[in-house]
Amino acid sequence: MTARGVLKALSPLLACIGLLCVWQFASLRLDTESFPTAIDTLKAVPAILTDRESIYNILDSLRRMAIGFTLAVLVAIPLGLLMGRIKAVADFFNPLMMIVYPVPKAALMPIIMLWLGVGDMSKTLVIFLGVSLPIIYHAYQGARAVEEKMLWSGAAMGMSARARMLRIVLPAALPEILTGCRTGLVLALITMITSEMIARQSGAGNILFNALDMAQYDTVFAMILIVGVMGIVLDAAFERIRLSLVRWSQPRGDMPLSFS
Amino acid sequence: MKVAMIEIDHVSQRFQTSGRRSHLALSDISLDIADGAFVSILGPSGCGKSTLLYIVGGFVKPTEGVARVKGKLITGPGPDRGPVFQEFALFPWKTVLGNVMYGMLQQGMKKSEADARGRGLLEMVGLKGYETFFPKELSGGMKQRVAIARTLAYDPAVLLMDEPFGALDAHTRTRLQNDLLDIWDRQRKTVLFVTHSVEEAVFLSDKVVVMSRSPGTIKQIVDIDLPRPRRRADLLLDARFQTYIVEIEKMIDDRPDDM
Repeated sequence: MTARGVLKALSPLLACIGLLCVWQFASLRLDTESFPTAIDTLKAVPAILTDRESIYNILDSLRRMAIGFTLAVLVAIPLGLLMGRIKAVADFFNPLMMIVYPVPKAALMPIIMLWLGVGDMSKTLVIFLGVSLPIIYHAYQGARAVEEKMLWSGAAMGMSARARMLRIVLPAALPEILTGCRTGLVLALITMITSEMIARQSGAGNILFNALDMAQYDTVFAMILIVGVMGIVLDAAFERIRLSLVRWSQPRGDMPLSFS
Repeated sequence: MKVAMIEIDHVSQRFQTSGRRSHLALSDISLDIADGAFVSILGPSGCGKSTLLYIVGGFVKPTEGVARVKGKLITGPGPDRGPVFQEFALFPWKTVLGNVMYGMLQQGMKKSEADARGRGLLEMVGLKGYETFFPKELSGGMKQRVAIARTLAYDPAVLLMDEPFGALDAHTRTRLQNDLLDIWDRQRKTVLFVTHSVEEAVFLSDKVVVMSRSPGTIKQIVDIDLPRPRRRADLLLDARFQTYIVEIEKMIDDRPDDM
């Protein structure tokens, strides 16, 4: 590997170290209790990760996120594809989407809590709602962009409408769908934390805000760090999967646009 | 006289345009195409020549009239009529070989058999060695070669070619025309070929159907009586070839009152 290549491979790491240095310097300079240094924060991380209860809380969060995300994918992709190919379906759902899209899903949390309680159900539902919309939108756009002639070619081979949907529209729209899923994954993390802030009962968001209430600022910052790393790892893992699924849409020999 | 492979019987096509107006794209077209014939449909853009091809393909339902293939009424697309489009319409997520095998597997052919036949076809269209490439990695001419192989793969009786070489540069276009004639000489499928190039139509066809527009009607059918196999270099010096071109060119000459 050339020196340039090594530098490129290490650049995310260098960026992280740089950020931590700036943090360390800034907090030493400001010297307030509510802004712990980077080193203090990093020291607080193992305490959280070895605490059985914290781990259960984080796993609870991840479980809700996984269920919400999976359900959203299972509902949103077929719906988006149908909207993209069948005008009547699009005509019905598009106005609905337009109204629901800009509403912050977490803002619905109070109503949902009122109806479904503060448990798993409400939180998973909010995650589901948050994730669904970008995936529906991207699946819709992807399906709409599928070339008519490609479907005609399939029809001439004797493929039924159903087969064309599953074996032409779905793969052709996959790059677009996966872009939606990537956005959805990040939104899942956001809605997960937000829902736990509102309905405090368990989860990573719960630890975060309990620590804030008790003025344990190093724990607050450590928790933010943990959630941030979770986001980066999930996104990088997803990007790997995405690239392996849509290799055909990438030019050969091209470097993937991810540092994973 | 050979039996008609395709019969187009008093077909008209009307499209709704914006507002309550409608546009008559095809007006009362009747045309018989013999089994094994190479017939080109030639006309200015907007004369409905592609629409006529789509009707035979079963992709578009005519407003009036019917079309038949081998005496059977056309009600939708089917593997007896294989389309080749100007836009190639390859499946980008499949490799070159995967594209060619797609229709065969769809027809229930065994994978090993489809694989062997696919490789053979790719060799025939000059793409040996490109089996594992993705369409994105190919030039326009190569893409169209894949598309032709993909359609030939499921052995349609009729090839429906919709300006297949329209998006290619002149050199590639000439090579593909020659190769298409070679393939046609070997397989003798019925070909319906839409183009707006007079030279291309005369070079390739047994018959050239000249259309006029607004509404699209058949202006004249010209039998091209040139010996086969045809070689482009020979034909360019052939007076009959030139005469056909000039004759047809005059027919489709766009006068302002046609607009």
